[in-house]
Amino acid sequence: MELKFSPEDEHFRKEIADWLAEHLVGEFAAIRFRGGPGDEHMYPEERKAWEQELAAGGWTCIGWPEAFGGRGASIEQQVIFHEEYARAGGPGRMGHIGETLTGPTLIAFGSDEQRERFLPGIRAGTRFWCQGYSEPSAGSDLANVKTKAVFDEASQRWLISGQKVWTSLAHESDHCFVIARTDPDSVGHRGLGFFLLDMDQPGITVRPIEQMTGTSEFNEVFFDEAHCGAGDIVGAPGDGWKVAMGLLGFERGVSTLGQQMLFQNELDDIIREAKRNGAAKDPVIRQRIADAHVGLKIMRYNSMRTLSGNADDGSLQPEAMIYKLYWSTWHRNLGKLAMDVLGPEAEICAAPPYELSRLQSLFLFSRADTIYGGTNQVQRNIIAERALNMPREPRG
Amino acid sequence: MDFNFTQDQLLFRDSARDFLRGEITPERVRALWESGHDESLWGQLTELGLVGITVPEEHGGLGMSEVDFVLLAEECGYVALPAPLVHTALVAAPALVDIGGELAASWLPRIAGGEARVAVGTGPAQPLLVEDADRAQLILLERAGALHALDPADLTLRRNDSMDGSRRLFTVEGADEGADEGAAVADAPAIAAALNRGGLGCAAQALGLAQRMLDLAVAYTAERKQFGKPVGSFQAVKHHMANVAVKLEYARAPVYRASWSLAKDHPDAARHVSHAKLAACEAAALAAKNCIQAHGAMGYTWEVDLHLYMKKAWALAGAWGDTGFHKQRISNALFEDDAPLGAGATF
Ligand SMILES: Cc1cc2nc3c(=O)[nH]c(=O)nc-3n(C[C@H](O)[C@H](O)[C@H](O)COP(=O)(O)OP(=O)(O)OC[C@H]3O[C@@H](n4cnc5c(N)ncnc54)[C@H](O)[C@@H]3O)c2cc1C
Repeated sequence: MELKFSPEDEHFRKEIADWLAEHLVGEFAAIRFRGGPGDEHMYPEERKAWEQELAAGGWTCIGWPEAFGGRGASIEQQVIFHEEYARAGGPGRMGHIGETLTGPTLIAFGSDEQRERFLPGIRAGTRFWCQGYSEPSAGSDLANVKTKAVFDEASQRWLISGQKVWTSLAHESDHCFVIARTDPDSVGHRGLGFFLLDMDQPGITVRPIEQMTGTSEFNEVFFDEAHCGAGDIVGAPGDGWKVAMGLLGFERGVSTLGQQMLFQNELDDIIREAKRNGAAKDPVIRQRIADAHVGLKIMRYNSMRTLSGNADDGSLQPEAMIYKLYWSTWHRNLGKLAMDVLGPEAEICAAPPYELSRLQSLFLFSRADTIYGGTNQVQRNIIAERALNMPREPRG
Repeated sequence: MDFNFTQDQLLFRDSARDFLRGEITPERVRALWESGHDESLWGQLTELGLVGITVPEEHGGLGMSEVDFVLLAEECGYVALPAPLVHTALVAAPALVDIGGELAASWLPRIAGGEARVAVGTGPAQPLLVEDADRAQLILLERAGALHALDPADLTLRRNDSMDGSRRLFTVEGADEGADEGAAVADAPAIAAALNRGGLGCAAQALGLAQRMLDLAVAYTAERKQFGKPVGSFQAVKHHMANVAVKLEYARAPVYRASWSLAKDHPDAARHVSHAKLAACEAAALAAKNCIQAHGAMGYTWEVDLHLYMKKAWALAGAWGDTGFHKQRISNALFEDDAPLGAGATF
């Protein structure tokens, strides 16, 4: 056990901190601290330009192997990158689905040709991705997808028809990865394929869905014989579930670290606010802030522990994926804490029409945390059955 | 950055685990609740080298650190060990090491050899209760901001029965008036260190206790049938267990982190101990609450073993600084004017 960063890592810290201090200025000053959770719809163009700035400095996809354009950065360096990025107020990353989901999935399961075609655009901050999993009848029961993929011999293309829903940032994306049924007679997780689609084509229609925040980060996406090439399926027809689940594994890996740094910024905002308006003198508020702080430390230490391999010391298997349940519950409580610190001000919109302050957006947006990416109830089922081996529930 | 234990640390834990789970059965815990005589058990623990595990090698111990011991303390919790091993290894011996000099040279070898016991009485709670004071030949007692080395023969010890029948707690009288200056052997830093090590010991044991309660409840709910099915197949029961599993699993890293900070004299070690104790005792409290519920009326009986572990978990939550104390330590630090804020300040 050695819980500190090495001198080389501290050198790396200085490198990224200096780079950010030099580059996150001028035209980018306006997007500092913007575009985080609850604020994703803001400044998309400026944030895309920022992705290219980052890429030019070699600061996108730093955890990818060098062979694929990354830096092969160690876990420690990735942690440091996220710390410094959040400290500097780096804007919410438009490229994160590509960098943390599409990229690792293609590196693990894709063909050489797919890697050559798709990785450079992600790395350069020029091509953006969205995730086409959920459908009207496939939420928690994701394996119930109905979207169909048919291989058209004449054009040698896959034709995709059906509907996805809740697709975050589809309206800002160049590509979508889609799970669709390749075997029309199949049910459940068999007979699925994992496809890489261009969003810019006549067969795809994107319709924003207005959220309770009054803004639109997610969308309905309709596919009417949308097409992709014969080579745009990852793995073989029938492998879709395996690839889709592999991708969810990356979702809970290193990408969680960046999120914790944003959480830290939010907690700091709350502490500042409590000092400003006197809530810091209320012993109940003080205790809840202490709780929030401890919860964040717990997540931080656990990520570091998981990422350092946590050998045979009796832990739950990482497959149990307990992180989602923990952070979503913590973050939802943080939103409530923010409102309670604000007191009567909490209710009053920042400006008409329905403009919310940062903490108000945090409160409303964090209501979604316990739903997306697997609801808390579904997570508990998985933990009980897979990690604790409790008797299985009959499934219909 | 590396959160892993070494192979040696894990092997040592495994052999201690084999011994403790084999010997310290619920039947033996119950017998010790009743008789209170643990002399043969202390002999066994001494033979295994556990009693002197943190005593420096030059004084006849194994010279191990908080990081080495933390996994063992967890195992002590798992069996609800009815003997003050955690107190001796994590609080008493390190306090003597801090004090040093002749006192350390004369008492540490005797601790390691199992010939003498030392009890430490300090902490924020009033009245101050000292664990196993009647079995100690030396008591290090906090009085007026200093630790005093006192001979129990000069003191009046009064037993306070604990709801956890294996905890033997004493109030100590007679030290105030006579507290002769010469008996003061250490001041604030040693007192603070003892409190932090005591807190770490509670936290580590709470992890083991929570694991034990969870194991009992998962096993029980797989066997017990209602409506023609094991009750463990019902989601409401599963979700109770899953919530415990998550809290428990996530409380481990802060406990290990605190052990490292104490071993390395990290400037924020006190706060790290507070994180650890809050997280682990909260996990154990949730385990107690949910596991008795999952047992139905059985969980409410004296006959079913669950209460042995629940009661220790409840007791340890209040020892070496209760929830309010540790939360206050944290919030005070967070609201200091120069408290480091920002994403870089999270490790
Ligand atoms: C902000 C946001 C962004 C999203 N972004 C995306 C995206 O980019 N791409 C994408 O594909 N999807 C996205 N989603 C969709 C998300 O993954 C789903 O909402 C989620 O999987 C839950 O499905 P559902 O909404 O259909 O709820 P349902 O499955 O209809 O669940 C309704 C309720 O029933 C409970 N329930 C269901 N099944 C069980 C069970 N077996 N046991 C116990 N309780 C159960 C649930 O816990 C929930 O409380 C997003 C969602 C949100 C809120």
